[in-house]
Order: sequence, then structure tokens, then C-alpha cells
Amino acid sequence: MNGFRDGLSAVVQWLYDVTSVPILVYFVVINLSFLLLIITAGFQFRRYLRMRDASVDTLGGELALGVSVVMPAHNEEVGIVTSTTAMLSLRYPRHEVVVVDDGSTDNTFGVLREAFDLVQIPREVPMDLPVRAEILGVYVPRDGHTRLVVVRKANSGRSEAINAGVNVAVEPLIAFIDADSILEPDALLRVSKPFTDDPTRMVATGGTIRAVNGSRVVSGRLVRLAMPTQWVARIQVVEYLRAFLVGRTGWSRLGMLILISGAFGMFRRDVVVDAGGLDPDSIGEDFELVLRIHRRMMDEGRDYAVEFVPEPVCWTEVPSTLSVLARQRRRWHRGLWETLWAYRGMLFNRRYGRIGFLALPYYWVFELFAPLLEGFGIVVVVLGLALGMVNVPYALLFLVLAYGLAILVTLAAMSVEEWAFHRYNRWRDLLTTLAAAVLENIGYRQLTVWWRLGGWWASLRKKEQVWGVMTRAGFDEAAD
Amino acid sequence: MTTRQLLLGIELLVLLACLVLALSVIWSKVTRLRRERRTAQSLAPVRGALIELAAGEPGGLRILRSARGKTADAIDEAAVALLAKVRGEPANQLVTVLEDHGALERAKAEVSHRSPVRRARAVQLLGLARVEDSTALISEALEDEASEVRASAAYAASYLADPWLAAPLLRSVGTGEGIPAGLAADALLEMGVEIAPVLRAAMRNPAPRTRMVAAHVAGVGTFVQALPELRELIAADPDVTVRVEAAEALGSIGQDSEVELLARHTRPDQPTDLRRACAEAMGRIGSPLAHDDLVHLLDADDPRLAEMAAESLVAIGPRGMATLDGRRDEPAAGTALVLAALRAGQR
Repeated sequence: MNGFRDGLSAVVQWLYDVTSVPILVYFVVINLSFLLLIITAGFQFRRYLRMRDASVDTLGGELALGVSVVMPAHNEEVGIVTSTTAMLSLRYPRHEVVVVDDGSTDNTFGVLREAFDLVQIPREVPMDLPVRAEILGVYVPRDGHTRLVVVRKANSGRSEAINAGVNVAVEPLIAFIDADSILEPDALLRVSKPFTDDPTRMVATGGTIRAVNGSRVVSGRLVRLAMPTQWVARIQVVEYLRAFLVGRTGWSRLGMLILISGAFGMFRRDVVVDAGGLDPDSIGEDFELVLRIHRRMMDEGRDYAVEFVPEPVCWTEVPSTLSVLARQRRRWHRGLWETLWAYRGMLFNRRYGRIGFLALPYYWVFELFAPLLEGFGIVVVVLGLALGMVNVPYALLFLVLAYGLAILVTLAAMSVEEWAFHRYNRWRDLLTTLAAAVLENIGYRQLTVWWRLGGWWASLRKKEQVWGVMTRAGFDEAAD
Repeated sequence: MTTRQLLLGIELLVLLACLVLALSVIWSKVTRLRRERRTAQSLAPVRGALIELAAGEPGGLRILRSARGKTADAIDEAAVALLAKVRGEPANQLVTVLEDHGALERAKAEVSHRSPVRRARAVQLLGLARVEDSTALISEALEDEASEVRASAAYAASYLADPWLAAPLLRSVGTGEGIPAGLAADALLEMGVEIAPVLRAAMRNPAPRTRMVAAHVAGVGTFVQALPELRELIAADPDVTVRVEAAEALGSIGQDSEVELLARHTRPDQPTDLRRACAEAMGRIGSPLAHDDLVHLLDADDPRLAEMAAESLVAIGPRGMATLDGRRDEPAAGTALVLAALRAGQR
């Protein structure tokens, strides 16, 4: 027994000796990068707030490009009419809604046909983007004026459904929106503004996604925002705040935004078609598309821009149980790995400038490898503690510092939220958010490390991806 | 200093930063709520008078003009917000209130204030109040180093509608970050036919954004004089977005003489988006001269182009409809006929 213990101690000691300096460097660099992102996001918000304080909030206008809202739907019978009605009533000078019924086995199409009195038209759908599944029919409302098109197709997944929607879409801008997303009434105006401001360069924009759990939603509109009741969802509120208000805002300011959330993104249609649309075989299809657009634009030497709109425009229900959350995080990390691997040729390639030299290496080192290093750290420290090899006060100091820095980033995001948007009105919500920022580090963070590693491992083993069902608790639609 | 002391020191700094941020969240919320309450209290006694004034009933004008101190400040803020929403006599009366409070004079002085927010607000107020001698100030502001000031100046230009501002607007829209193209287009559209020569020159500007804005304004504003430049853009501009915009502009201007040029750009060797835009523009012109070219497009490989050609045939009237009727079994013609019937309420 002692022999085993000694051997294990020797291994652990060797691991400490070999990895302590690289891990310390990693720790310093990752935290410096967070600091840099906070500062750049701060500059971006300063500019945003100045513009807002200057009261120039003109949205729409004559130059606003038309938008086709493409909404894939699979077995959304319960909410599809509400979602479609909400999308049709968004404030925008010229927009159509394209619902793609992706082979639903429930009555999704039936409720749509009844609600909007749909009639079939003999339209031949252009194959601007390849779609393997059969298109079963194209339908429009009988009134001849409501700008809704419903496409029925055989089931082949979200990406193909969106590609089919893009083929049917007629406007120059495309917004990809999940059927269960709740949009702010002026979401299209805000996310399309960069296109109106810079119509010849802007190719894609993304909006801020927030968690809607615990809030009151009526007829597809968010009417009262509140923090969720479950801590799992509360912590995700904090995660979303940090990811969007610090991460993406900072990357956008640096001109290196490479990820636009699939729940709500806007693209120039010709650019999406030119790039080949969403890859139906990709797990991280949204990330993959944005990277492909970047690569194509830079290959062609085009002057272009991809921008992030920090205002909260889209609300989505986040997983409220650990099992659903685990599936989501495995899928996200698997998608991250597969996409980064597929685009490894862009890494440190001079042709891809800042994307190749900064953004992609960052995603490799601080997004992809982060759970591996954090997991390694947890295992080695636990082993070291068990073997009495760790200086406990020293380890505790380091742990407090690591999690303290994580809380600092979250608090920076919360400051921005309160300073710029202050969407959570109740003091109780503010305090809950503060508590979630601390509690995130106890258990939740370690679980996500495990799930993310699981997703990565599944990909390396070429295990088939099962999408699973996102169990939704629904919104508080009851009267107050 | 030992590693342990260093760690402790850094931890204290992080803890302090966390505390500062947490307190800043709370402080930000408290000050915002207090400010909102204060403004509401200041405005409460005159809110009715302001609403009446905006609705065209000047009963409370005297109360508003005579207000001083914090109440006057709150009135000014509300009046500026209202000025963007009302026209005519109510707008003039709001301007007199602002004049009496000295807000317009202050705005002239603050155009050169060191705070960009103050400069932006000042420029915007001068525009909203249509202060006639502020054109030069707004022209200067279009080249301000701060983007919010440039944007405010473009916004102000749309209220002043002085054609003299067209050239600086178009110059600014194409430089670096410039001014937002949408704001520039909206302002130019308020300026009338006098800006035609400037627009024509802008269509030869090296910046694609300037050319696009100029083409767009020429189309929406029906600037017939700009047709030669639009023809050049559609034929040879290096940016497809600009070519598409020129095609749409030709369609909006609606001259029969442009049908041949548009038809030429629906040929298969042209970019797909341009072909589609030209087919649509031909329908917008609505000339029977487009008939044969549109019929030819019904056989296009691109189903969307064929459908757009069919819809344009609907737009050119009975002859186009008759042609489509004869080909109603084809998807493009059939779809256009069904959509036309639905729009006419015939199904």
C-alpha cells in the first residue's frame, strides 16, 4: 500500500513540477485577456451610452434593408402560432416571416394553416443553398397581404430547415430565429442598424440573448422580467450576461467577432448563399457559418464587418434541469472542437489577420482547452491534498484568487447591465444575481467542466451526436 | 516579498475591485431611480401644459415659458424629445419655450464644448429647432472627431434640410467610420431637387458607401437628372451592392427608356442578385416595353428570377397577365397568378 502511495506521490510531484509554471502562465494570461475584454467592452459601452445620451436613436429609415425572418420549427404545435404572430408584429418597415416546418410529427402545420388560412402556391423553391430533404409545399395566407411564407419539408434538422428558409426568403437580410425565442418588439430594427449604418461592408450581426425563465410572457412578448426560481437557471443568467456583455462586446470592438448565437443572428442573404449556408453535418453550425464567412471574405480580400449589438433583443428559455444542461454543454463543446479543428488552417495564417492570430488561438486555448486544464487542476489538487503534498493555506489562497477573478468578470458584466440597460428592476433580482455570481463557482462550474470534457471526448471517439429534447418548462403566461 | 504575500496582495486587490463593482451596481441603480424621481417631480406641475402644447393647444404656453431653474431644465429636456415627434405650430411653440429658457443660445455655445455628449446634444437641438444660422455649425460638426457628434449633425441636417449640407454629408458618409449611411440618406431626402448635382458627383466618389447612398437617394427621390450616373453604376460599379442599388433606383425613377438597360443586366453572365433586382425593377417601371424580355426570363434557370419576372409581368398589366395565363402550369407563372389573385381578394 505504501509502495502505491509513494509511487502516486512521485507521479503527482512530477506533474506539479512539469505543469506548475505553464499553468501559472496560462492562469495569468487568461485573466489578463478577460481584463482586456472588459476594458474593450467598456470602451464599446462608453460609445454606446454616449450615442444614447446624445439622443440619436434613429432606427429604420429609408435605407433600412428588408429582412426575412427565418424560423425553423419541429414539433412546435403548442407555441408556433403565438411565435409567428409575434414575429409578424415586430416593428420594422419591411419584413417577411418564413416558417419552415421541418417534418413535424405533431400538428405544427395544421395549427398554422388554420390560424393564417394558408393556401398552397406552386412556387418552385430556388436551390441557392443545397437542401437534401424534399420540399413538400409552400404556403401563404389567403389574405394576400400578410407577409408569411410557410415551407413544409421532410425532416432533416435545423440547419437544413434554415437553408430551405433562406432559399425561399426574398429580402436582402436574413434573421435566423428559433421558434421558441422571444424577441423585443424593435429587435429587428436594432440588430439591422449596423447594416443601415454601413450597408456596403456589414455582412453579419448578432444580438444579445438573455434567459427568460421566471419572466412573464404574454402572446410571445416579454411583459415582466424576473430572475428564474431555480439556481441552475439563475446561474445561467449570470453566464449569459458575462458571455454577451463582456465577451462578445469586447470581441466585436476588437473587430474579431467569430461567434453569433444561433438563437438570433442576422446576415446578408447573398453572403450566406455565397458561403454555402449552414452546414447540416456540423454540430456547431452557427459558429461554423460565421467562421466560413470570415474565411471567404478574407480569401476574396473584401472589406467587410461583423458586429455585435449589445442591447438585449432576444430572450430564450435556458435549461432548468442539470440533465438538459449537461446535454447542451456537451453539444456546445463538441461543436466548438469540431469547428475549430475544421478551421485549423486559419490558425496563425497571415491571410486571416487578427482572426487567425488572436481570436482563433484564444478560442483554442481559453475556450477549448479551459475545461481540460481546469479538470486537470481539480484532480491534481484533490490528489495532492489526499497525499498531503499540498500546502493547504497556499492552495486555498490560489483557489480564492481564481474564483475571485471569475466573480470579478461577472460583476463587470453586471455593472454594464445596470449602467446601460437596467432590465432587472427589482432589488431582489439584483441580489439574486450577485449571489448567483458567487455560487456559480461552487459545484456548477466544476460540473460544466465535466460535461464539456464529455462532449469533447464523445467527438474524439466519433460517437454519434444525439440532439436530445430540450425540455422546456414554459413561461409564466398566467395573469398577475 | 514571498509568493504567499504576493498572492494575498493580489487577492486583496481583486476583493477590492469586486467590492467596488458591487457597490457601483448598487450606486448606479440608486442614482438612476433618484434621478428619475426628481425629473418626474420637477415635471409634474407642468406636464399637463406640455401635453396640451404638443397637441396644439397653447393654453399652458405662458406657464412653460416662465418656468425657471430645475423645472425649466426638465421642460427643456421634455421639449427636445417632443420636437422630434411634432410638426407645425406645436413645434414652433416648443421652440419659443426653449428660446425663452436660453436653451438655443446655450446650444450654440456648446457646439464647441469639450464633452462630445454636450456637443452632440447641442448640434441636435439646433437642428430640431431649425435654427437658421446654424448650417455652418452643423457642417463643421459633420467632421467632428466623435462619432456621436457626427451622427447628431446628420440627424440635425435632416431637420434643417438645407441643400448646402448635402456635399458635407456625402463627404462624411464615405470617410472612415463617417456618419451612418441611413442617417445621411434620410437627411438628403429632405433636401429637394437642388442637391441633384451633388448627388451626381457623389455617384463617382471612390467610396462605395457614398455611391450607394447617392444611388439610393436618387431612386427614392426620383432624381431624373441622375439617370446617366445610375446607368454607369449598374453597368460598371465594382461593388455589386451598389449595382443592385442602382437597379432599384432605376426602377423607382420609372422611365421606359431604362428597360433595355435593365434587361441587359438580367443576362446569365450577371450576378444573381443584380439579375433579380433588374427583373423586379422592370416590373416597377411597369412598361409594356419590358414584356418580351420578361417573358424570356420565365425560362430562366433561377426559379426565383423566373418568379420575379412573372410578378413583373403582372405589374405591366393585361398583356403580361394574358401571357402568364397561357403558361399557368409553369411554377413561376402559376405562383404569380395565384399571388395576384390573393392580393385582389379573388380566392
